Amino acid sequence: MSGLNSGDKKLRNNALTIFSAAALAVCLWLAPTFIDAYKVRIINLIAINAILGLSLNLIYGMGGMFSLGHSGFMAIGAYVSAILIITPDQKQLMWILDPISPWVMNLQAPFLLSLIAAGVAAAFFGVLISIPVLRLGGDYLGIATLGFSEIIRILITNLTPITNGPLGLKGIPPHASLLMSYGCLAVMLLCVTRLMRSNFGNVVRAVRDDEVAAKTMGIDTFRIRVLVFTLGCFGGGVGGALMGNLITTIDPKMFMITQTYSLLMIVVVGGLGSMTGSVVGAILITTMLEWLRFVENPITIGSLNIPGIPGMRMVIFSVLLIAVIIFRREGIMGMREFSWGWLLRDAKKGGAK
Amino acid sequence: MRKFLLAVMLCFVASGAAFAADDVIKIGFYNCLTGQNAFGGQLELEGVQLALKEFPEVLGKKIELVVVDNKSDKVEAANAVTRLINRDKVNVIIGTYGSSLAIAGGEVAEVGKVPVIGTSCTNPLVTQGKKYYFRACFIDPLQGAGAATYAYRKLGSKKAALLVDVANDYAVGLANFFKQSYIKLGGEIVSDMRYQSGDQDFTAQLTEIISKKPDIVFLPAYFAEGAIVLKQARELGATFRFMGGDAMDNPEMVTLGGEAIEGFLYTGFAYAPDMKEMNPVAKKFTENWKKAFPNKDPNGNAALGYDSFILAYDAIKRAGSAEPDKIRDALEKTKDLPTVTGVTTLDKDHNPQKDIGVLEIKNGKKEFVGTIVPE
Repeated sequence: MSGLNSGDKKLRNNALTIFSAAALAVCLWLAPTFIDAYKVRIINLIAINAILGLSLNLIYGMGGMFSLGHSGFMAIGAYVSAILIITPDQKQLMWILDPISPWVMNLQAPFLLSLIAAGVAAAFFGVLISIPVLRLGGDYLGIATLGFSEIIRILITNLTPITNGPLGLKGIPPHASLLMSYGCLAVMLLCVTRLMRSNFGNVVRAVRDDEVAAKTMGIDTFRIRVLVFTLGCFGGGVGGALMGNLITTIDPKMFMITQTYSLLMIVVVGGLGSMTGSVVGAILITTMLEWLRFVENPITIGSLNIPGIPGMRMVIFSVLLIAVIIFRREGIMGMREFSWGWLLRDAKKGGAK
Repeated sequence: MRKFLLAVMLCFVASGAAFAADDVIKIGFYNCLTGQNAFGGQLELEGVQLALKEFPEVLGKKIELVVVDNKSDKVEAANAVTRLINRDKVNVIIGTYGSSLAIAGGEVAEVGKVPVIGTSCTNPLVTQGKKYYFRACFIDPLQGAGAATYAYRKLGSKKAALLVDVANDYAVGLANFFKQSYIKLGGEIVSDMRYQSGDQDFTAQLTEIISKKPDIVFLPAYFAEGAIVLKQARELGATFRFMGGDAMDNPEMVTLGGEAIEGFLYTGFAYAPDMKEMNPVAKKFTENWKKAFPNKDPNGNAALGYDSFILAYDAIKRAGSAEPDKIRDALEKTKDLPTVTGVTTLDKDHNPQKDIGVLEIKNGKKEFVGTIVPE
């Protein structure tokens, strides 16, 4: 491929991208007819986890802001979308503690609009919180965002006329089909890639790596950080909305800090600052958790009968995680990204680089 | 090293795929075996396993139990049910502790068209509008009304206070139903205090409640927090009685609460291992349990696990087929089925109209006081 000049390479890469995206779309479109609903569900969950991982990676990996508030933004997105697409009749039946406020009952929007509204609402809160909080750095930022997500969860728990309190919402129409989830992931990947390859991307990296130096260069670092944080929140909101649509029911307890931890796990295992890493991390962690279920089944090896031990799956999963962190601290992808050039060159050299 | 690891993994995969037999009827079981609700899920599993030992075959085929953990997590619960339906191809499912988990699982079962029998998911929303979800337990409106009736009629209380975990769907629901019934009966709610799951210090709320001088305090908590509340109330010198719901029914409670929970009342399923008038099914259950687990007392959850299995077993027998849709139709017609927690008849919303038991802690042991008909 060394004979190609850069323009040809670009053309080739674009062609390859479009071709493989189309191939993937066809596969996803055919998937529900050929494989069972269980696998479809896991594949779908991968896309949603990838969206969430990617959005957190934007904040933490690329923006260098340690945020523990992602589950809060997910909650906002999930609730906004759910309230917009559940029909008024269903809402009437669900609010059994306090009567629903009439304006919430009559709020209605089509699914796609609700998805955007979810993102916008999360981004709005993102701006709101980031302006005071992003003046902090490092661990302090983590604690402040953690506090924020707890506030959101407690607000949702107590605003019963709007959110149905701790009972949560059920009967959300299952709009998160495979194509929808992967469509969102593709749009998001495209946007983040374009963004990070542009000059804006360079500026973001500069702010992350050395804020003082960036400031000296005349960059308004605060504005950049707020912008990146808000974009990440938008992704979190959309991801939360899709998650709600996938499992068709949400409640405040879904959005505890453990939700943020599992996203952090995806980001760190995949590689901080690598978009490819977030996707790889999402695939790995989502499938591993389900695949490892067999260790909890009763196992018969020859005449030896081992009864199933619940929780064994998490033990093995944790050991694997520790192994990844010990042997590959920078995560599976490190900071590298997937590109066609890398793949083709690598294939030629027999995988060595 | 790498080869060894590969070999170990292959062994696992092989053993995972080693089961496949057509002449069995599969009953799926999804429940909280780990995570914050594991104490309830484990007991229910043991109840189901006990029933399986007693009824290992139906329609001339062996029954196989497929157990899947849901980690007390909604996403996992939905995954677990999908797995049971599509991968393990079970005929009927039993589960789970925790209504919010059952709601998540129920949506999947509805699409997969496999009937589910809920063990102890007491929130009305679980079966509301569902074609494939049934349950072996009573629902919270009934339980709340039962508790209010007992507090007002039998105990003669006129003023009640509430202490509610607002982050817990079960507690909020039950407290609400208690409040409605109690006011309807003519009682007065003098204080409505709140806390959040995980709180350790309840003295502020308790001091406020003590100052209002209620006759009784309704505390719809889980047993771990409930025991702490009772301890702190006694330390503050509270003299009123406390009353709780079925989530307080756990053998651990007495160990945790010690002296402080003496005289504590709670509504629950009409079963306790030492109740005086036991129906024949309950007698058999208690005997078998004592044989299987000599060091552990059964409770309502264990009984409901057992009952759920009986419901499934009975439906398969009456349907004469293991087809999920036929089992569903048979389940809907369940009538006068003798179970551990009373005679079960499922109504049009798939909920049983069961007696509500009232239990009391006396001399460090729970005692069955009697059953109550809610007004």
